[in-house]
Amino acid sequence: MSEQTPKAVNWMKWFDPRSRGVGMWAFIINRLSGLGLVLYLVLHLIMLGKLAKGPQAYDQFIAMMKTPFWIAGELLVVAAVFIHGLNGVRIILTSFGIGGDRQKQLFLIIMLVAGAAVIFFAWKMFAHAGGG
Amino acid sequence: MYKPRVIVIGAGFTGVALAYDLARRGLDVVVLERGPLVNGTSGRTHGLLHSGARYAVDDPESAVECIQENIILSRIVPEVIEPNGGLFIALNEQDMNYREEFLAGCARCGIPTRELTPRQALELEPHLNPQLKTAVTVPDAAFDPLRLAMAFTASAQFYGAQFRLFCEVIGLTGNHSSQISAVQFNNRITGREEVIEGDIVVNAAGVWAGKIAGMAGNIHLPIRPTPGIMVTYDKRLCQLVINRFNKPGDGDIIVPQRHFITVGTTSFEADDLDYIPVVQEQIDLMYERGCELIPDIKHTNQRAAFMASRPLLDSEAVGGSLTRTFKCFDHKIRDGIDGLVTITGGKATTMRLMAEKTADIVCKKLGWQAECTTKENILHSYREFIFQND
Amino acid sequence: MTENKKYTWNIIFKIFRKKAGQPAHYDQFDVAVNPDEYILDGIERIWAYQDRSLVFSHACHHSTCGACGMLVNGEEKLTCITTFRSVTRNGGTLRIEPLRNFPVISDLAVDMTGMFERMHAVSHRPVIADTFETSRGRKKEREDLLRLADCIECGLCISACPISATSADYIGPAVLAGAQQPGTFGENVLNIVDSEDGAWRCHSAYECTRVCPSNVDPAWRIMDLRKKLVLTRVKRMMGIKEKT
Repeated sequence: MSEQTPKAVNWMKWFDPRSRGVGMWAFIINRLSGLGLVLYLVLHLIMLGKLAKGPQAYDQFIAMMKTPFWIAGELLVVAAVFIHGLNGVRIILTSFGIGGDRQKQLFLIIMLVAGAAVIFFAWKMFAHAGGG
Repeated sequence: MYKPRVIVIGAGFTGVALAYDLARRGLDVVVLERGPLVNGTSGRTHGLLHSGARYAVDDPESAVECIQENIILSRIVPEVIEPNGGLFIALNEQDMNYREEFLAGCARCGIPTRELTPRQALELEPHLNPQLKTAVTVPDAAFDPLRLAMAFTASAQFYGAQFRLFCEVIGLTGNHSSQISAVQFNNRITGREEVIEGDIVVNAAGVWAGKIAGMAGNIHLPIRPTPGIMVTYDKRLCQLVINRFNKPGDGDIIVPQRHFITVGTTSFEADDLDYIPVVQEQIDLMYERGCELIPDIKHTNQRAAFMASRPLLDSEAVGGSLTRTFKCFDHKIRDGIDGLVTITGGKATTMRLMAEKTADIVCKKLGWQAECTTKENILHSYREFIFQND
Repeated sequence: MTENKKYTWNIIFKIFRKKAGQPAHYDQFDVAVNPDEYILDGIERIWAYQDRSLVFSHACHHSTCGACGMLVNGEEKLTCITTFRSVTRNGGTLRIEPLRNFPVISDLAVDMTGMFERMHAVSHRPVIADTFETSRGRKKEREDLLRLADCIECGLCISACPISATSADYIGPAVLAGAQQPGTFGENVLNIVDSEDGAWRCHSAYECTRVCPSNVDPAWRIMDLRKKLVLTRVKRMMGIKEKT
């Protein structure tokens, strides 16, 4: 629904990809992955706090982290790191006038690399989890 | 001191130029326009700032007006003009027959020309039909229609003129039936009807001038709506305006603008003022005629196709041929209704002159002593246009 | 209304309506069209034959004036050069709305005064030497010839920009692209574009370049402008005087 005048509350529009192109998808995914990494950082600090409680707490924690649910979560972090990091490089390059006319292709390549990384880490992590 | 108010109906080229002239002369001006600026005929002009060469043979009066106004507009509003000149191209023997009277006519009208050999012409314009027989340069130019109007509008606003856009005139009234002193209109933004009073009303509604004049009483205006087609192609295949060497005919002008070119036009009769459908046969004709001048049009895509109705004047004697000059009707003299003047006919290139002549008549009727000052002064930037919402 | 046998498609228009003092809503109109004619033609016919109260902006009908920009199914389009065939099919629905991020005057018409003010403030020259310039380089064609610049000030880029959606102070892609013209900056232009609301506010969404109907490529121009700004700052720090 139109009749939109510029104001800060329109920030939700940032996450609306309808009728928008690849560049906007990159914009959205960069923000989501950024927020995701901040959330991960907070969780990480909470985890470190738990570890201060001694070796038994540590072993319990590691056992939990080998469950599929948490492995999947970690894989999301892997994806976020690759996507956010590589997209950051893409933005740096285009800001210097390099590759701006190929920004769509660059983004697709980034997503493919991130996808490959997730698959690789998934294989490694599930293998370890299986091995015990 | 009391400033008489002039109400101008229509914000086409005539209306905006007139508002500027009158506002410069110190009058209070209000322009009423039912749509946005130049949304009628003026917006859809080919965008050719005529050198007048096209009329030098058959209509020298028009030609002289054109060259003079071409020079003036190029001086006072260069920011909307591509001033690269034009070429007249002859492609066959029939075209060549026109050459001598053309050159003589231009000379008589004071239009500078220079003949080029085909090789010189092709160096200047590599996409021209290589079969061309001769080429003559003329001081044609191309302009952006909306920005030309915005420049006059912004300048008029600077001198105090008010532009009420999206306000549709629905009635002309007065204290008695032979005097117009007020205009009723529908404000299309609020949906409410309003009335404003004025000392004189100028009907500059172009093709719709007859409809407006009819609101004042039993007035018939000899305006013949004459639409024509334009087709735009998506590559800038020429830098100069390209004209065909012949008596004015269909599809014999190509005007470059920005990164595309427009081929025009045709001339036919229509009844419906408000909408003229685009007809495929005419698009095909423009394509054919365009390709004769610039064969590479075959390798472009059509970008746009549009129609606009020119307000041509019927000669008032027994239905004679249509002239391209303009006319100002003082309805007091003509129809016994005072307070109303109609200006109609004409073309974009002579807009400033039409405004000057009309403003002279308006000032005379109002007893207002003021000379025209629009020839010498550079217009304000079109970007200074302000949408007035009140 | 004339029956035209070339009008072989039936299109449902859902048009945004807003009159002063009344709530916004959508009106539906059924229009017979030719698939290769332009959306603006359909809108004009709706006004001419179905609803004279419809308010919309248009002037040149051939992409030089920039007046007829609108949202078509949520996407920025210049309606005079957008064919029905390119956005829908026979029996399809077209949702038509005014551009985003501009004040709505009425229905589909928006007020672009603010954008024109900013273009004026950055001294974008509307008529330029005919040089051909893209992100791959600058090629001088005919220096003795002038032409109207590519940017037609249509506002599509500003409508599509997510930063323009959240900030009225952000200069906007059209204006930043306009400031990028060859040449050195005047002090006041520099202050406008080298500011937190200027070139540094862009977040590379690239929507501006995607929707531009006129080959301006604002995204590239904003990045190019940043390079110029950095060079200008460095030169100043090193005390090198700019030739103006």
